[in-house]
Amino acid sequence: MAARGNTGPKPNGSAQGKICQFKLVLLGESAVGKSSLVLRFVKGQFHEYQESTIGAAFMTQTVCLDDTTVKFEIWDTAGQERYHSLAPMYYRGAQAAIVVYDISNQDTFGRAKGWVKELQRQASPTIVIALAGNKSDLASKRMVEYDEAQTYAEEHGLLFMETSAKTAMNVNDIFLAIAKKLPKSGGPGPGGDAGSSATGRRITEADNQPSSGASCCK
Amino acid sequence: MDPTALIQGKLRPGEKAIVVADAGIVQDWVKSPRLIALVEKQSEHALIIFSPQNIPVTCSNDVSFSNAIPIDHEFHCDPAFSKRKGPIPDFCWVQDYWPLCPEMDSSSAYDAVSVNDIAAIDLCDDAKGDGLDSDGAVRRRAIAMGEAPIAARESVVRYQMAQREGAFTDIHNFRIFVGTWNVNGNSPPASGLLEWLACDSEPPDLYAIAFQELDLSKEAFLFNDTPKEDEWTRAVITSLHPKARYRKKKQVRLVGMLLFVFVQERHDAYVTSLGGEVVGTGIMGKMGNKGGVSIRMEIHSTSLCFVNSHLAAHVEECERRNQDFHDICSRLSFSNFMPPKTIKHHDQIFWFGDLNYRIVGIESNAAKAKIDAGNWSELWSKDQLKQQQKDGKSFMGFNEAPLDFKPTYQYANNSDEWDNEKGRAPAWTDRILWKGDHIENTKYRSHPTLRSSDHRPVSALFNVGVKVIDPVRYRKIYEEVMKQLDKLENEFLPQVTVDKLEIIYDVVKFLEPQSKTLTIANTGQVPVQFEFIKKLNDSYFCKPWLSINPYADFLKPGEKRDIELRLKVDPTTVARLNSGQEQVYDILVLHLEGGKDLFITVQGDYQRTCFGLSLHTLVQLKVPVSEVPTGKLLELEADRESEISACNAGVPKEIWLMVDRLYNEGLDEDELFFAKQGLDVEIRAIRDALDTGTPAVLPGNVTSVAGALLLFLESLPEPVVPYRFHQQCLDSSSNYIACMRVAAAFPDHHRNLFFYICAFLKEALLHTSKNGLDPRALATLFGAIMLKEPVGSPGQGLPARTEQAMKARERQKANFVYHFLVNDFVDATGP
Repeated sequence: MAARGNTGPKPNGSAQGKICQFKLVLLGESAVGKSSLVLRFVKGQFHEYQESTIGAAFMTQTVCLDDTTVKFEIWDTAGQERYHSLAPMYYRGAQAAIVVYDISNQDTFGRAKGWVKELQRQASPTIVIALAGNKSDLASKRMVEYDEAQTYAEEHGLLFMETSAKTAMNVNDIFLAIAKKLPKSGGPGPGGDAGSSATGRRITEADNQPSSGASCCK
Repeated sequence: MDPTALIQGKLRPGEKAIVVADAGIVQDWVKSPRLIALVEKQSEHALIIFSPQNIPVTCSNDVSFSNAIPIDHEFHCDPAFSKRKGPIPDFCWVQDYWPLCPEMDSSSAYDAVSVNDIAAIDLCDDAKGDGLDSDGAVRRRAIAMGEAPIAARESVVRYQMAQREGAFTDIHNFRIFVGTWNVNGNSPPASGLLEWLACDSEPPDLYAIAFQELDLSKEAFLFNDTPKEDEWTRAVITSLHPKARYRKKKQVRLVGMLLFVFVQERHDAYVTSLGGEVVGTGIMGKMGNKGGVSIRMEIHSTSLCFVNSHLAAHVEECERRNQDFHDICSRLSFSNFMPPKTIKHHDQIFWFGDLNYRIVGIESNAAKAKIDAGNWSELWSKDQLKQQQKDGKSFMGFNEAPLDFKPTYQYANNSDEWDNEKGRAPAWTDRILWKGDHIENTKYRSHPTLRSSDHRPVSALFNVGVKVIDPVRYRKIYEEVMKQLDKLENEFLPQVTVDKLEIIYDVVKFLEPQSKTLTIANTGQVPVQFEFIKKLNDSYFCKPWLSINPYADFLKPGEKRDIELRLKVDPTTVARLNSGQEQVYDILVLHLEGGKDLFITVQGDYQRTCFGLSLHTLVQLKVPVSEVPTGKLLELEADRESEISACNAGVPKEIWLMVDRLYNEGLDEDELFFAKQGLDVEIRAIRDALDTGTPAVLPGNVTSVAGALLLFLESLPEPVVPYRFHQQCLDSSSNYIACMRVAAAFPDHHRNLFFYICAFLKEALLHTSKNGLDPRALATLFGAIMLKEPVGSPGQGLPARTEQAMKARERQKANFVYHFLVNDFVDATGP
């Protein structure tokens, strides 16, 4: 009966429904549209000439589900091969990953498979992985068949959608699908208040935290 | 600086900062940092709040006063519940701070100070504007100075949703029946309680039914146990309004005080967060013969609190009753909530019971006469409770309907007559009061037909508005708030730009440092704490040949910082670069606290040198290193284990060239190896001459050649005495013969070089009269170099040694070499 147990919307109580915070990382070959997917999801924008990400960009975005609120802390990583060795800093401790390829480029699909393999071997065993075939607006230049990717995703237990950051197709949907699939039963997060995550963003410290389970508050 | 000492510096004499905590004040969308200090002066306390003017805060001038809140001894900051009214005269010293405090609008600017956790206090201010629709409310300038936008999402969401409550709640009408009766220890009347509890035509949605003096026996008082509870419970349940079905939600009793709450079954699912607590204020201020019992709950989204109290008796104990009221207010706490809720933390409060306030200032018989004539309204002004409320001493802020009924105390048993035996004046002891919004009283009456006690039951009927959330509108607004928070959170992420992402050095040469500057500019709206961080599995944030200064710093918006990246290949790092185990290439991770990372690539073309090549390679090279293809060099470096044929095991030509120069020109040089380090520029020229083979005679002064020789030996990846012999050398360092035996076992190319150097040093010692060299000093210098310790630290697989142990090792190394400087060893070297 204690107020902390409440999950229903209670505007004057202490609980607003549960806010669960998850670390999500985007991986994939350079120029497949990782940053564009994030930009579309977070700001609803699209830039035809998106700058190459040299580093790991950070943004947050909240998704409201029926009973919980999922706050994503999104790490958008550099796709260039020379930064490959730095990727574990970002996927370590992540509860979710979106592996992106470009449907008009067969090589990027191969590279995506490599990322899936690496995640399944090295990342948290409970990580939720989604495969995104981006640039679905370029149907005329399609090199990766939908069915091929769909079959691959099924075999490897991945969520799969073809997306377009340009037209916004399936962008919110893929994040929403991940939010729904993530376990929300985790205990109180290490930071207490879900918003006070200044330390949680310090990725080098993420290693000390349990690699699975959401940091849920209230 | 210790924050307590810092704050102490701001206070006046006689005031002591007991504890200082970091806090934040949430206004609109922004949480701004504050320091909150608990300050004492002559056993009075206050919270004094400071705002930082500079970040980080390092001295008293970095903070300014922002608020000062006196704390009375019950920690009441809510004026409605405080015994004192207005500015509190005892706290003049606190009021003296008010003119300094810009946030001090009025003494009640803060609704409530909730000290949930002394380390993280959130102070909630009233909204000054609505930030949702106008970004203008977001105090960008303040954020740039260090205020944190929405640092605590949960509390901001709660606050923002509370601000918008009206937009997603509907007010539903609830009918509440409150009844109270002091039953004077009697059992329920056989006829039941219908005429009290079911006297209205329509059934109430909720009942709060209170009794006092349920049982006057000693057992009830001492053991808090009474059979009367069940009797009265049955009587109540059978007398609820017959037109509706009720469910009992909670029942609380303390000795003779009993309180029930019933709700209609159809509302049952919407009643949540129930709590029940009791407070005794009777004998010793603690016992349960007087005091209060309380039930709290939430109906939909409105919190309600019902308090049944039995306050101190007797006309003259008015102050005692006031005290009981305050004690119940401060001590009654629903502890199953975090933080615990007290009575005042409720939207609607109903307070009732035998409050025991009397009619004063009129003679008993005169009062009775007025009452009997139906003129009891003339007695209202003589009612103590009305007087105490008016004087602000008790039940401040509570409402009561007109007392349109005869006083309910004190009647003769089973009679409508006054109890003349005790001669007490009649009184409205039994009262029902309320506090809160959306409460409308429709009935307030006594029930004189229930005559089994010396009191008469009283009841009141209320129409209350209960907030009911519309889930559709709630969700829409909740999502809007979240969207706005996301927008702000992303907008106020730390942002920097760097002037380059690739740092490319010119040709990288041994002992030639190069510096490049990286400029970091804070182009975002918030202060940035940046730091170069380690990559996974790395022990340091950059390679040993690079140094970054500063590697971490703090930038305000608009500020820039030049970072020096200095590259230097020295004897400890040269070998790994020569051998190709490492490249002049690294990716630095520049991390912004609370934000993104940037990757800075550092690279340069490394020019290989004979310095830092292995002895194994050096003895096999017949031409200068610059004439050897890189591939061949790497091949040789990769294969350090192969056997060296005897004809190849001579002294490397580079060392021969240096020693030859010293032998010819330097033996008479004063303090050779000790006086000067040699000039960098000359040492570089010597390096180039050794690497290219021209000029044939080494350039530079002899001291530079000596310096180059030491550097050369120091740079060998495997020292002159191979690592695997070190322990044996140290163990035998006290005995020359044993030392000879160890040295004889060195691989040919190492042994030859060792004896070659020793022979040269012996030659130099023959010139002591001119060069002033001392064999002990030479042995110490060359012992340390020829038996140098592996590069690395204890954390990297090397044994941890104390400083003392290290000194002992250095002495043993010197002793080992010393034997070869003072003894004749020519015979031992063999053919």
